[in-house]
Amino acid sequence: MNEQNLIIATAIFLGGFILAVVALRTDKGPPAGLNIVIAVVGLVFQSLFLRERGDLHGRCPITNGAEVLVFVSWSIVIMYLALGKAFRLSLLGVFTMPIVFVFHVIAIIHLSVADPGARPPNVLDPWLEMHAAMSLLAYGAFGLCCVAGAMYWVQDRQLKAHHTGPLFYSMPPIKYLIDAMIRLLSIGMLLLTLGIIAAFFMRELPGALHFAISGAVWVLYAVLLAIYFTKRPSPKRFSLLVIGAFCFALLTLAAL
Amino acid sequence: MNYRTAPVEIRERLAFAEHSIPHHLKEILDLVHVSEAVVLSTCNRVEIYGCAEEISQAVEELTDYLVSHFEMERGEVDFYHHESEEAAHHLFEVASGLDSMVLGETEIFGQIKKAYALAQSNGATARRLNKLFQQSFSIGKLVRTSTRIQQGSTSVGSAAVDLAERIFGDLSECRVMVIGAGEMSRTTAQSLLSRGAHSIIVSNRNFAKAEELAADLKGRAVRFDDWENCLDEVDIIVSSTSAPHAVVKKETIERVMSKRRGHTLYLIDIAVPRDIEPEVNEIENVYLSNIDQLLQIAKDGQDRRHRQIEVCRGVIAEFLSEKGIEALAEIPERQRTKGGDDTLSDSSVNPVTHS
Repeated sequence: MNEQNLIIATAIFLGGFILAVVALRTDKGPPAGLNIVIAVVGLVFQSLFLRERGDLHGRCPITNGAEVLVFVSWSIVIMYLALGKAFRLSLLGVFTMPIVFVFHVIAIIHLSVADPGARPPNVLDPWLEMHAAMSLLAYGAFGLCCVAGAMYWVQDRQLKAHHTGPLFYSMPPIKYLIDAMIRLLSIGMLLLTLGIIAAFFMRELPGALHFAISGAVWVLYAVLLAIYFTKRPSPKRFSLLVIGAFCFALLTLAAL
Repeated sequence: MNYRTAPVEIRERLAFAEHSIPHHLKEILDLVHVSEAVVLSTCNRVEIYGCAEEISQAVEELTDYLVSHFEMERGEVDFYHHESEEAAHHLFEVASGLDSMVLGETEIFGQIKKAYALAQSNGATARRLNKLFQQSFSIGKLVRTSTRIQQGSTSVGSAAVDLAERIFGDLSECRVMVIGAGEMSRTTAQSLLSRGAHSIIVSNRNFAKAEELAADLKGRAVRFDDWENCLDEVDIIVSSTSAPHAVVKKETIERVMSKRRGHTLYLIDIAVPRDIEPEVNEIENVYLSNIDQLLQIAKDGQDRRHRQIEVCRGVIAEFLSEKGIEALAEIPERQRTKGGDDTLSDSSVNPVTHS
């Protein structure tokens, strides 16, 4: 299988990240809208790769770990493009690119070493497709929430130490980052809930392990939201929790 | 003349009152050699932009007019003047904030727009100055959007406000407490109010002074032994008392934060000796800035803006290399037959700045 489109997308996200970092360090600053353009172009090549894989299998391309990672990356980029501007967080794109790059590199290595090839389904099940798509979009929202959490840490550190360089002035206010974390968590929870509900309508119900892991991720994020709305922990602790939760969610993907 | 060439005593004598500018424009246009005019009068500059066939004579006439009108001695004021391209470049730099006392400030852009609108509505501008000023607006906007000339704070007050905006974003939902009713408190509180903050609470040992400042800021005064009880109502605290010891202690803020349900608190300590224990900055979700940190940010901001001057000039040069100075472009033959300024010889009608 040719991973050319995935390699191009990977190079675009790496190049975009390097360009943004270099621009942030210069006196001129990054050109307006650069992150969006890079994300859109990268998304096109991600989509081309996923379509090729979809054609290969004749179903949603999430048949192995590499495809799942690319699908999650694709969801993160989609979420950024859909919500970054609305949340006034254009710099979220810059912080998203390294994560997407790492996921892609792992996927490329995985596919070049052990591509399992075509895995056509016995029977096409739209509820299975719905379950997979909603769940992975939820992971995209959780991934972007994790990025917002990391940005909170960076800006908190800069504010405490009064490091007011170009990055400081390019970062969004920390209140917007906290708001973005909560909104992304809520969106992710909604999508994941829809994905889990869809699983109950599948012709062939998932195995117990699959249910247990999906349930564990759902419970984890539900608890996070409940903690936020009842206990109101400090945003710094909360951002650490969302970063940790996403790492856990990624590990569960490996187990699935 | 501007803040570089004339002290404030001279600038205030030469300032044109806004209501009198239409009258002055009429008198300037009555001068033999001046065909168009815009008067730009701000606290930092008085400049007259005009069009003339014979520039040196127009400059003489304008100088005589200013000296006689403002009852000054010739030579008392160090007037400067620019011609043609130089005059256009000067206006472009003024509109971009590159000639301002506070580099990159935006107020001048609005002041130029107002001066031009006033001249235009009084029939004092025609093709040349219309094109020149329209182009200056395009350049002023381009410079501000494509460079970092506006980025960074240049004073203690603006540094504090900028940091507050980096924390809260929009300040319109922020409530402010001012401890101490001195001039620094007033200035910083006014900076915060100008960016949308509201519900100012003022506390001071001398309650009458607190009431006075609160009235000026449209806030409310609280007695000094009661300010701690108001802490959970506010998002920003500005402290500037003359107390010889810390007024705001770490344990006080820790106690308050436990009741604030995750709401961030920003403390601005502009007192010397410091009013707020520096350990307050160690508390999660609490940010503290002292006077030295704010001064350093303001200095960094000024340095950063100075480094941007050449970047801005590059942007202006790039713009002009593409479009040229439209006011100096030749008028098409068919337009020259029309009346007014366009009938004048192009080679000799040039923008001139005099101030």
